[in-house]
Amino acid sequence: MNQAMAQQIIQEALAQGRKALSEHEAKQVLTAFDIPVTREVLVTDRTALADAAASIGFPVVMKGCAADIVHKTERHLVRLDVRDAAEALRMYDEIVGAMQGVDGGVLVQEMVRGRRELVIGLTRDPQFGPCVMFGLGGIFTEILKDIAFRRAPLSQGDAMEMMAEIKGAGILEAVRGMPAADKEALSRILMAVGNIALAFPAVAEIDLNPVILAGERPVAVDALMVVRHDGDDR
Amino acid sequence: MNDMPSSTVTTDFERIFHPRRIAIVGVSTRGPGFGSGIFHSLRTIGFEGEIFLVNPKGGTLDGVPILPSVADIPGAIDFAIIAVQARAVPEALELCRRKGAAGAEIFSSGFKELGTEEGRLLEQQVVQVARRGIRVIGPNCFGIYCPASGLTVLPGPDLSRESGPVAFLSQSGGMAIDFANTGKSIGLRFSKMVSFGNGADLREVELLRYLTDDAETGVITLYIEGVADGAAFFDAMRAAARRKPVIVYKGGLSNAGARAVQSHTASMGGSRRIWRAMLRQVNAVQVRDLPEMSQAALAFAMLPPRPFRRISVLGGGGALGVAAADAAEPFGLTIPAFDPPLVERIEAILPRPGSSAGNPVDVANPFVAPEVLKEVLLLAAEDPRIELQIFISLLSHYKNMARMMGLPVKEVAPYRDLAAHFQEVARRTGKPVVVVLPNPRRGLDHLDVVEMIALARRTFMAHGIVVFDELHEALRAIGHLNVHYGRKTV
Repeated sequence: MNQAMAQQIIQEALAQGRKALSEHEAKQVLTAFDIPVTREVLVTDRTALADAAASIGFPVVMKGCAADIVHKTERHLVRLDVRDAAEALRMYDEIVGAMQGVDGGVLVQEMVRGRRELVIGLTRDPQFGPCVMFGLGGIFTEILKDIAFRRAPLSQGDAMEMMAEIKGAGILEAVRGMPAADKEALSRILMAVGNIALAFPAVAEIDLNPVILAGERPVAVDALMVVRHDGDDR
Repeated sequence: MNDMPSSTVTTDFERIFHPRRIAIVGVSTRGPGFGSGIFHSLRTIGFEGEIFLVNPKGGTLDGVPILPSVADIPGAIDFAIIAVQARAVPEALELCRRKGAAGAEIFSSGFKELGTEEGRLLEQQVVQVARRGIRVIGPNCFGIYCPASGLTVLPGPDLSRESGPVAFLSQSGGMAIDFANTGKSIGLRFSKMVSFGNGADLREVELLRYLTDDAETGVITLYIEGVADGAAFFDAMRAAARRKPVIVYKGGLSNAGARAVQSHTASMGGSRRIWRAMLRQVNAVQVRDLPEMSQAALAFAMLPPRPFRRISVLGGGGALGVAAADAAEPFGLTIPAFDPPLVERIEAILPRPGSSAGNPVDVANPFVAPEVLKEVLLLAAEDPRIELQIFISLLSHYKNMARMMGLPVKEVAPYRDLAAHFQEVARRTGKPVVVVLPNPRRGLDHLDVVEMIALARRTFMAHGIVVFDELHEALRAIGHLNVHYGRKTV
């Protein structure tokens, strides 16, 4: 995956009149910018499921995947900790049923283990343009709003500062037997999200939530990328 | 988007801020008006340059003849003050341009701020004239205050003529007047103040760039509601804050993010969070109101350019003790306890009982002799951890002593001795001494105390000792210094 291919994914989505990329598409764009994401395979054919799951390795996470579906959890399209092939088939049928004919597939991805969830995102401010966000992830994002912003492009100093700025900054340190987060890796992700905004004016918003710390290593487990036509940089 | 002219025309800011010949266009001989108001203001404050008055009706004002047109002014002018009706502004501006004016401030309202088509078109015409080679401040503004030249805003006849390091850019004229008067009250001195109103031509970005290079300006303060070009503003702010402290009071902030967004990121990115982040990123100091801005500016203007993290707090009153430590912590300041031998040496010279010298140091009563307080401060400075000392002086208590002595309180309160001693302490130790002058006696029966405190403030400031009203204000201002200078390398 390179940036030209990422560009193509975004262009196709716009050409189809879509407002967002699917999770799988979004992660391909992230990969083009060296942002670590879950290993995953998009399955659109029931018979391909077994091979896909085997290539990822059980246990896996299975998600309904389509550009029109932005909030998967609310629509009961996420299955965690799927242990074997038989369970995978059962979950596949359930998810496809719940998708109610929406065009898409089922994303089979590695189950990333880690108790610390972060959020990294992008918004375009009407006055200052693209701004990158960092904060506590998962359900805490909306409840605590413990977040920091910096305008793109970010220097590594900016990225390090925003990580130190949140009240929950201690979560990035060695705590309760968990290792300290790889802040270099996190700062590379923060800078890369800003670079996506600068490279692709059509990318209007990004949520990487959660970014899970697997040990010290951050991995984007879910991704939302909102696109829009006008290409306005504001 | 409005900064285009700078590339084609070299702006002569010197002639704008220090004009020798100015025109006031639109003076009425009858009743109050902006034109005659600014004329009287300039006269009162003592503007030394030549002033030409213009009004088609002619006549005289205070013995000065009023010329019927700008064209009738003999020779060239440096600067113009325009206070005619909005409809007559573009033509008046053009005439000033032809008279060689480098700039003009337009007090008149009736432009873009109305939200009408006519207002918008008139402002466009102003911009068109400006592009031909005259820089415009306003319209809908109070203009320039420059103590060195005697240019003053309206209504500003009583503003200070003493220059200092603080510059102020303001979208609000009222804020400029308030800050200028606050500054005069607390001893804050200004280099230049610009109320630019609608900012049709000159506005935040270009003025920031100018002030960044301006040798008369050491601290830049801004009151901003909205910026014309966020990216240019960000860059100009960053460049400015690398050279000198920049303090920003942003009006009209909101927690709400953009509407109709799908991501959590966009919904949480309201203007309050984004502005705070932008200001941090460029290492500007964000303040929440005018008093906080004044106090921060005072600290940056008077204290050495470095962080002060460990401090001593000495004196008396309710703010000492536990309250001081609690108040210091949020600003990244600590008040470390002195070692027992040092405590003993300090306590040995303080009155007993009542004093405690652990840091904070309670000096026992408000009447301890200035020479003793000097020795206490010199001792406290021996603790190598201490970087700055705050002395809370309860001078208002001298009221009752003065009553007993039958003397005015301003003759009894020992602020002159204190100022001289504290200056000496700061000089000998290399550790700044900051004075807090709380005054709970402010009622009509205590106007003599209010006067004495004002005299004390002026005396301390004249000795290079910065003064705050309350301890928490001093701590907050020093906290701003710490954040700015602590991140200077970023």
